[in-house]
Amino acid sequence: MDVILAAVGDAFTWQALLAIVIGTWAGIIIGGLPGLGSVVGLTIFLPFTFGMDVITSMALLIGVYCGSVYGGSITAILINTPGTPQSAATTFDGYPMTQQGRVDEALGWATFASFFGGVLSCVLLIFCAPQLAKFAVNFGSIEVFALVCLAMLCIVGISRGSLLKGLVCGMMGFFFSTVGSDPITGADRFTFGTYALSSGLDLIPVVVGAFALSEVFVRFSARDEEATTIPEARLRFPSLREIGRRLIELVRGSFIGSFVGALPGTGAAAAAFISYAAAQKLSPRRANLGKGEPDGIIASESSNNAVTGSAFIPTLALGIPGDVVTAMMMGAMVIHGITPGVRLMADQAQTVYALFVVLIIVNVAMLILSKPSIGLFRYLFKLPLGFVMGGIVMFSFIGAVSVRGNPLDLVVAALTGILAYVLRRGGYPLAPLIIGMVLGPALESSLRRGLLISRGDFLSFFTHSGIATTLFVLIGLFLVWTVAAGILDWRAKIADRRQPAESGARSATTQEGRP
Amino acid sequence: MKSLRYSLATLALIGTTHAAVAADNLEIIVPFAAGGATDIVARSFEPTFSQQLGVTSVVRNVAGASATVGTAEVANSEGNPNIIGYEPAGALSIQPSLKKLPYGPDSFTYICRTVSNPMFLMVSKSSDITSFKQLVEESQDQPFLYGSSGPGTLPHLAMAATVVNSDLKAEHVPYSGSGPAMNALAGNEIQIMADTETILENYDLRPLAVFADHRVEGYDDVPTVEELGLPALDFAVWQGVVAPKGISDERAQQYAEACKVTVESDKFKSFADKAKAGIAYLGPDDFKAFVQKRFETNKQVLEDAGLAP
Repeated sequence: MDVILAAVGDAFTWQALLAIVIGTWAGIIIGGLPGLGSVVGLTIFLPFTFGMDVITSMALLIGVYCGSVYGGSITAILINTPGTPQSAATTFDGYPMTQQGRVDEALGWATFASFFGGVLSCVLLIFCAPQLAKFAVNFGSIEVFALVCLAMLCIVGISRGSLLKGLVCGMMGFFFSTVGSDPITGADRFTFGTYALSSGLDLIPVVVGAFALSEVFVRFSARDEEATTIPEARLRFPSLREIGRRLIELVRGSFIGSFVGALPGTGAAAAAFISYAAAQKLSPRRANLGKGEPDGIIASESSNNAVTGSAFIPTLALGIPGDVVTAMMMGAMVIHGITPGVRLMADQAQTVYALFVVLIIVNVAMLILSKPSIGLFRYLFKLPLGFVMGGIVMFSFIGAVSVRGNPLDLVVAALTGILAYVLRRGGYPLAPLIIGMVLGPALESSLRRGLLISRGDFLSFFTHSGIATTLFVLIGLFLVWTVAAGILDWRAKIADRRQPAESGARSATTQEGRP
Repeated sequence: MKSLRYSLATLALIGTTHAAVAADNLEIIVPFAAGGATDIVARSFEPTFSQQLGVTSVVRNVAGASATVGTAEVANSEGNPNIIGYEPAGALSIQPSLKKLPYGPDSFTYICRTVSNPMFLMVSKSSDITSFKQLVEESQDQPFLYGSSGPGTLPHLAMAATVVNSDLKAEHVPYSGSGPAMNALAGNEIQIMADTETILENYDLRPLAVFADHRVEGYDDVPTVEELGLPALDFAVWQGVVAPKGISDERAQQYAEACKVTVESDKFKSFADKAKAGIAYLGPDDFKAFVQKRFETNKQVLEDAGLAP
């Protein structure tokens, strides 16, 4: 108990609180600007932390991290351009709500779901970090493969209109992810002899091109004045009754995010897609998903912000960073002489508890700062459209190149932008492309590692462990469900079409139709 | 309103001109993403180093393709006296033998080696294997799996060399870094891993051998691979500073002196102590010879293990 009180004391110094406010606010803005995401934000702030003490520097970085994950949803909702890849799933329902004039409601749910997910994952982190870490260790390559397969299935759900078009885009994203070094042999693939391509296509330039640049192209090519104006950003928090009605969605999203975040090598973008796929099957209002249903925003935002807390589980409990962002945090801790690892909890309990307290304060700060931040975006988007779009293009390119400092990424962003514009004109959904790109590397390397481990026997994947079997059964159920629902739907449609026809003619055609 | 917009635009322009003027400053390329293990050492190295040279330095992270993209950028800046690279072992001594790169070991002016940590052969503490001999025996029925932080990395090479030179039967499973590999080791997906003291200290691991020519202080009961009847395999994770070719001898001398002072400074020492990086300074000539030797050795290992193209 003394340790916890001392930890609270560490977290409530004016330096730490100031760092939280600055970090969180800067994070929200950086996250909201298309192209600039968590990694860029942390890269900007990392050098400032060298002169600070441990808690203050971690407070600044955690603030930037959590703020940026939330901030990405603001532009996702307002202009259909996720500020960060983590918020890509927020556009599915966020932007339709904006088009329906429900901006305030959409932003309110996004903010509240982010806060809820963040806090719930902190609580989980405090009480079950060791247990969750132990469970995550059981997630080997084969289990991760099964989980990624399950997540991939959400492509089916979000490809409204044409499943084929969705699958084409999903495969395209997957092939983009295979460019570069082979994860198992290290050989170069699809580089066409160009050395610059051997580092592969990074996610950020592709996301920036697919969403931000294509959105700019679409708006510029639209003749309709009305369609190109950006609605005024407002924020209205959901009432307690509304929250109660959707509480189960909030809890489900937060738990999925907390769990996926604890697995090494997945991350917030994957968590958001998995959570959205779950909402498609389990939400009582699933029929409206994709047409402007708050449940979709909740699924995406509660899970991606839950990752911010739980990503620290493998980092703090095992010293294994879950993604690039926590790897950077781990680096910052090492600079200050804290080496995450199995003994961290025992040796440095006070620091670890102080970090937990900081995480909670950051989430509260995020809730408070959401209003002024959205106000700032409201002001920014009031500028003439040319300025706004020009700014988006500029930040997109800055974001694309600043992740790895590779000029190739500028070309990748521009080309993806043009490709995405053509695809959108053809009615192809872009989200599957990003899903393919996010999940593709995990799918490929977990499959190939799994095959190395099972010594080439794919059938043994299904019986490898209880977790794997359960996940594969879920996939089977999902497929049967989807196919059955499809057949039922198709028969209902046929019946509808033939309703006006005479019953005699109808039976005749049915018989003719049979071979 | 309008004036505010214009002044903002002007400010932005001033910003870009400033960046253009600042091109005279020293650029330190780190071929990994910010916050990585190499990056934090480079960033702790930079302040004293810049102070010694009397310049302002900018650490630039150019990541990708096993650190070769950033390294290539240094090699391609031939004759530029304002760029150096803070390089990991793999990019200088392994990657050039693995694939076609726009540089080789002869493409640089070598400045200094800064740190070096010997690698250990390790198994999980939860396994009942306590010696290398036992490991070899138990691998005869069913080959073990060893992890690495990626194909063609030092952990991979060290184990590949061990398998080639002993009766140990083991196959390679690459991960996307030491962290995920440690997770796999904890879940018994893989059984063996070669890595440095940092990894050994932070996880529940048992060292069976050390890839060095003498026993390591603090691990006096861990035998060297040579003592176990294998050829003397020497694998260490090291880092160093290189500059492009074609810079003046005078400039190279300045770099070398600044590096020596930095590595011996109390500030860097106390950092290295915290980050468990073993300071191992080598001057320009020694470092060049060292890289050349490591390059040859690693090439041989890659050929023996059938990994070289």
